[in-house]
Amino acid sequence: MSEERKKYLKKVKIKQISIFGFQFLLVLLFLGLWEYLVKIGFINAFIYSSPSNIIKTIIELIRKHDFFIHILVTLKEVIIAFILGNILGFTGAIILYEFKYLAKVLDPFLTMLNSLPKIALGPLIIIIFGANIKSVIIMALLINLIVSILTIYNGFLCTPSYYLKLFKTMQANKWQTLFKLVIPSSYQTIIASFKLCIAQTLIGT
Amino acid sequence: MNNLLDISKLTKKYQTKENEIVALDNISFGLKKGEIVSLVGPSGCGKSTILSIIADLDHDYTGTITRKSHLKYAYMLQNDALLPFLTIYENAILGLKIQKTVTKENLAYVDYLFKLYKLDEFKNNYPNSLSGGMKQRVALIRTLALNPDILLLDEPFSALDQQSRLLISDDVYKIAKKEGKTVILVTHNIEEAITFSDRVIILSKRPAKIKKIIEVNFKNQYSIYERRKDANFNYYFDIIWKDLDTNE
Repeated sequence: MSEERKKYLKKVKIKQISIFGFQFLLVLLFLGLWEYLVKIGFINAFIYSSPSNIIKTIIELIRKHDFFIHILVTLKEVIIAFILGNILGFTGAIILYEFKYLAKVLDPFLTMLNSLPKIALGPLIIIIFGANIKSVIIMALLINLIVSILTIYNGFLCTPSYYLKLFKTMQANKWQTLFKLVIPSSYQTIIASFKLCIAQTLIGT
Repeated sequence: MNNLLDISKLTKKYQTKENEIVALDNISFGLKKGEIVSLVGPSGCGKSTILSIIADLDHDYTGTITRKSHLKYAYMLQNDALLPFLTIYENAILGLKIQKTVTKENLAYVDYLFKLYKLDEFKNNYPNSLSGGMKQRVALIRTLALNPDILLLDEPFSALDQQSRLLISDDVYKIAKKEGKTVILVTHNIEEAITFSDRVIILSKRPAKIKKIIEVNFKNQYSIYERRKDANFNYYFDIIWKDLDTNE
């Protein structure tokens, strides 16, 4: 390995470590500021709690053996809702992309559903499905699904037209165009949609 | 029928909410096997539309297109359109995969072209690490790999710098002549049309009509550089220039 290569790799590593360091520092700064503002009475600990209070509660829950049970239940709900949200979102986006007429028909309804305050539907869902894991997952799906469908679908629509023309000139059928071009070209949007989906799922659960 | 392809009274109209646009008006010409024909004309006159219709990508027209037998077409576009997530080799054989014609012979031909264009050491590179000229050569390999009867070139050199443009158009010219490929080139560039073709078809502005068809005869057929030096080059240039000029 040449000296220049070694220098370059070192530089890349330092950059990665510094980014991680700054992220860690930001978290520490936030927690420190929060704790400090509670200590000096600037913010109310009863309403906003404080990092030290949260740690105390966690220790107490661990002692009572409750902590991991709750974590596991929530984690299970998040994972199921996240996977379901992505699978259904991805499938929904493919259906909309392949059936443009249907996409045009559904467009105003999807926009309407997306802007609906879904959290407000929480009590209704509990009445219909009961206070159980099913309700939590449905709530999370209500929140993450439309966002997932619309994000991935818009990603598909951004496939550059010259690639589409190329595939047309090669007599590619619509599934070849979808799997060899549209989906791989939307890779970054799909990853962005996963990130959005996990955030939405956590709100839902 | 001596021609590989005959186009007769081809007319194309586009319908929009506002009005009807006539893009092509009564276009007729034939194409012999192994012939290189250029279509020149003002921007937006419908040159690319003719290619789409010939390649069977657009069926909404009137007139007749008579083909000698089942013809295979391959396109080369203005943009190299190499997929950034595939290596250049994977890009080159993409058409073969799509058409399910990945055979030993076809892969051997792709390997031959990679060697011919000195790209074999970059086979596993991704397009972003290549120059514009190299990328367009990969696009040329992808086009030739399909072993088409007719090569449809839709301004494939226009996005390149002058040096790459000359080199790659010469590559295409030489391989087309060597392998007896029939070629239709759409171009804005008069010099390119003259040096590249056996015939130049001059189209008017929209709706495109054929203004003139010029037979190009040069003594040297083997290189576009040599054709450029031919005494007749300026003569052809003047004829095409005048015909294009009167359109503007």
